[in-house]
Amino acid sequence: MPKHEFFVDMTCEGCSNAVTRVLNKLGAVQFDIDLSNKKVTIESDHNVDTLLETLKKTGKNASYLGDK
Amino acid sequence: AESVVVCVEGMTCSSCIQSIENQVGKLSGVHSVKVSLGDKNAAIIYDPKLQTPESLKEVIDDMGFVAAPAD
Ligand SMILES: [Cu+2]
Ligand SMILES: [Cu+2]
Repeated sequence: MPKHEFFVDMTCEGCSNAVTRVLNKLGAVQFDIDLSNKKVTIESDHNVDTLLETLKKTGKNASYLGDK
Repeated sequence: AESVVVCVEGMTCSSCIQSIENQVGKLSGVHSVKVSLGDKNAAIIYDPKLQTPESLKEVIDDMGFVAAPAD
Protein backbone atom coordinates (compact mmCIF):
# COMPACT_ATOMS: atom_id res chain seq x y z
CA MET A 1 0.00 0.00 0.00
CA PRO A 2 1.26 3.51 -0.75
CA LYS A 3 2.58 5.50 2.17
CA HIS A 4 2.07 9.26 2.26
CA GLU A 5 3.41 11.90 4.52
CA PHE A 6 1.41 14.97 5.53
CA PHE A 7 2.04 18.09 7.52
CA VAL A 8 -0.76 18.84 9.98
CA ASP A 9 -0.53 21.85 12.24
CA MET A 10 -1.13 20.04 15.54
CA THR A 11 -0.20 21.70 18.79
CA CYS A 12 -1.27 19.25 21.46
CA GLU A 13 -2.77 15.89 22.21
CA GLY A 14 -6.27 17.23 21.59
CA CYS A 15 -5.24 17.94 18.02
CA SER A 16 -3.69 14.55 17.48
CA ASN A 17 -6.76 12.88 18.97
CA ALA A 18 -8.92 14.82 16.54
CA VAL A 19 -6.74 13.63 13.66
CA THR A 20 -7.00 10.06 14.94
CA ARG A 21 -10.80 10.26 15.02
CA VAL A 22 -11.27 11.69 11.53
CA LEU A 23 -8.91 9.10 10.07
CA ASN A 24 -10.64 6.25 11.86
CA LYS A 25 -13.95 7.59 10.61
CA LEU A 26 -12.65 7.52 7.04
CA GLY A 27 -11.47 3.96 7.54
CA ALA A 28 -9.12 1.73 5.55
CA VAL A 29 -6.09 3.63 6.76
CA GLN A 30 -3.05 2.83 8.83
CA PHE A 31 -1.36 5.84 10.24
CA ASP A 32 1.27 7.17 12.52
CA ILE A 33 1.11 10.60 14.16
CA ASP A 34 4.26 12.46 15.05
CA LEU A 35 2.97 15.32 17.17
CA SER A 36 6.29 17.03 17.86
CA ASN A 37 7.16 17.22 14.17
CA LYS A 38 3.53 17.90 13.14
CA LYS A 39 3.64 14.99 10.73
CA VAL A 40 1.13 12.29 9.90
CA THR A 41 2.19 9.26 7.92
CA ILE A 42 -0.66 7.38 6.32
CA GLU A 43 -0.64 4.03 4.62
CA SER A 44 -3.76 3.67 2.53
CA ASP A 45 -5.27 3.00 -0.88
CA HIS A 46 -7.28 6.22 -0.64
CA ASN A 47 -5.88 8.87 -2.94
CA VAL A 48 -3.92 11.83 -1.63
CA ASP A 49 -6.78 14.30 -2.20
CA THR A 50 -9.19 12.25 -0.11
CA LEU A 51 -6.65 11.94 2.68
CA LEU A 52 -5.83 15.64 2.62
CA GLU A 53 -9.51 16.59 2.63
CA THR A 54 -10.05 14.32 5.62
CA LEU A 55 -7.15 15.84 7.53
CA LYS A 56 -8.43 19.34 6.77
CA LYS A 57 -11.78 18.46 8.31
CA THR A 58 -10.14 18.96 11.69
CA GLY A 59 -9.90 22.65 10.84
CA LYS A 60 -6.12 22.58 11.11
CA ASN A 61 -3.72 23.57 8.39
CA ALA A 62 -2.66 20.50 6.45
CA SER A 63 -0.52 19.88 3.42
CA TYR A 64 0.94 17.00 1.47
CA LEU A 65 4.64 16.41 1.98
CA GLY A 66 5.20 13.49 -0.34
CA ASP A 67 5.50 9.74 -0.66
CA LYS A 68 7.50 7.78 1.79
CA ALA B 1 -32.61 32.95 15.12
CA GLU B 2 -32.34 30.05 17.52
CA SER B 3 -29.59 29.18 19.94
CA VAL B 4 -28.20 25.83 20.98
CA VAL B 5 -25.50 24.60 23.32
CA VAL B 6 -23.53 21.60 22.15
CA CYS B 7 -21.32 19.65 24.56
CA VAL B 8 -17.90 19.07 23.07
CA GLU B 9 -15.41 16.53 24.41
CA GLY B 10 -11.78 16.37 23.40
CA MET B 11 -10.80 20.03 23.33
CA THR B 12 -7.56 20.65 25.15
CA CYS B 13 -6.21 24.03 24.14
CA SER B 14 -6.99 27.35 22.54
CA SER B 15 -6.18 26.05 19.07
CA CYS B 16 -8.98 23.48 19.43
CA ILE B 17 -11.35 26.33 20.24
CA GLN B 18 -10.04 28.34 17.34
CA SER B 19 -10.60 25.55 14.84
CA ILE B 20 -14.16 24.91 16.00
CA GLU B 21 -15.05 28.58 15.99
CA ASN B 22 -13.58 29.01 12.52
CA GLN B 23 -15.15 25.89 11.05
CA VAL B 24 -18.62 26.33 12.54
CA GLY B 25 -18.50 30.09 12.08
CA LYS B 26 -18.18 29.80 8.32
CA LEU B 27 -21.26 27.59 7.90
CA SER B 28 -24.20 29.25 6.22
CA GLY B 29 -26.89 30.12 8.70
CA VAL B 30 -24.57 30.41 11.66
CA HIS B 31 -24.66 33.86 13.21
CA SER B 32 -22.26 33.35 16.07
CA VAL B 33 -20.39 30.66 17.89
CA LYS B 34 -18.74 30.84 21.28
CA VAL B 35 -16.68 27.90 22.46
CA SER B 36 -15.75 27.39 26.10
CA LEU B 37 -12.86 25.11 26.98
CA GLY B 38 -13.75 25.14 30.68
CA ASP B 39 -17.43 24.33 30.17
CA LYS B 40 -16.65 21.92 27.32
CA ASN B 41 -19.32 23.32 25.10
CA ALA B 42 -20.13 25.49 22.13
CA ALA B 43 -22.92 28.04 22.22
CA ILE B 44 -24.21 28.62 18.71
CA ILE B 45 -26.74 31.08 17.38
CA TYR B 46 -28.12 29.92 14.07
CA ASP B 47 -30.89 30.27 11.53
CA PRO B 48 -33.23 27.26 11.94
CA LYS B 49 -34.02 27.36 8.22
CA LEU B 50 -30.41 26.56 7.38
CA GLN B 51 -29.09 24.56 10.33
CA THR B 52 -30.39 22.27 13.03
CA PRO B 53 -28.82 21.24 16.36
CA GLU B 54 -28.18 17.87 14.69
CA SER B 55 -26.39 19.32 11.67
CA LEU B 56 -24.24 21.54 13.91
CA LYS B 57 -23.37 18.60 16.15
CA GLU B 58 -22.46 16.61 13.03
CA VAL B 59 -20.00 19.26 11.85
CA ILE B 60 -18.18 19.32 15.19
CA ASP B 61 -18.21 15.52 15.23
CA ASP B 62 -16.67 15.42 11.76
CA MET B 63 -13.86 17.61 12.98
CA GLY B 64 -12.77 14.84 15.31
CA PHE B 65 -14.38 15.98 18.54
CA VAL B 66 -17.11 14.17 20.40
CA ALA B 67 -20.20 16.33 20.29
CA ALA B 68 -23.64 15.93 21.83
CA PRO B 69 -26.56 18.31 22.21
CA ALA B 70 -26.70 19.66 25.77
CA ASP B 71 -29.94 19.19 27.64
CU1 LIG C 1 -4.21 20.82 20.24
CU1 LIG D 1 -6.08 21.97 21.29
